[in-house]
Amino acid sequence: MKGPMKFFLAAAAALTAVAGGASYTAAAMQARTAAELRASHLAGEQFDGYLGVVGEAPGDVRARVNSINITRRAAYTDVAGRRRVKIEDVGAAMACEIFATSILPGQYYMLPDGIWRQRLGQAPVPRPAYCV
Amino acid sequence: MSDPMIKAPFMSSVAKPLIGLALAATLAGCIELNAPDRPIEINLNIAISQEVVVRLAQDVRELRETNPGAF
Repeated sequence: MKGPMKFFLAAAAALTAVAGGASYTAAAMQARTAAELRASHLAGEQFDGYLGVVGEAPGDVRARVNSINITRRAAYTDVAGRRRVKIEDVGAAMACEIFATSILPGQYYMLPDGIWRQRLGQAPVPRPAYCV
Repeated sequence: MSDPMIKAPFMSSVAKPLIGLALAATLAGCIELNAPDRPIEINLNIAISQEVVVRLAQDVRELRETNPGAF
């Protein structure tokens, strides 16, 4: 990469980090798996079994969230076919599992009221009524 | 008397809507820049029973094992 180009890219990254409300750390920019996206605090788990973007996020974060959701939906469709249930039911059951095990302190989750909440401290995440 | 429309055949009744369409298509590309940040998939009508949640528990755990990056 040529000198001036490198400078402009670094300047753009710095401006983005300063101007954005969230802190787009290098780790957040690299987040690819669902666990990494949850840890970046730019995405959270929804009650319907899909990842959602929390507030403003760069386009590539949204693209990765969409890509993961496409994979999830394919997996839910597969199970739904085998078990003769609705695709949404598999997603809901997955959300129950994820809410119970994988939302670490500081990470975001959304209940059926549509509000993003952040898990604070060690208190367990409240789960939708249909979870056991 | 000369009809100005005859001297400008490219402004026929076919061309004008086409030009309008082209303008609209060009301008339509600008609308996406500030799209609201809404979730792509969100189902507000989940009516699953606890019985089904229990029945799917094992399948759901297997999904997480075989697709660790996605869940």
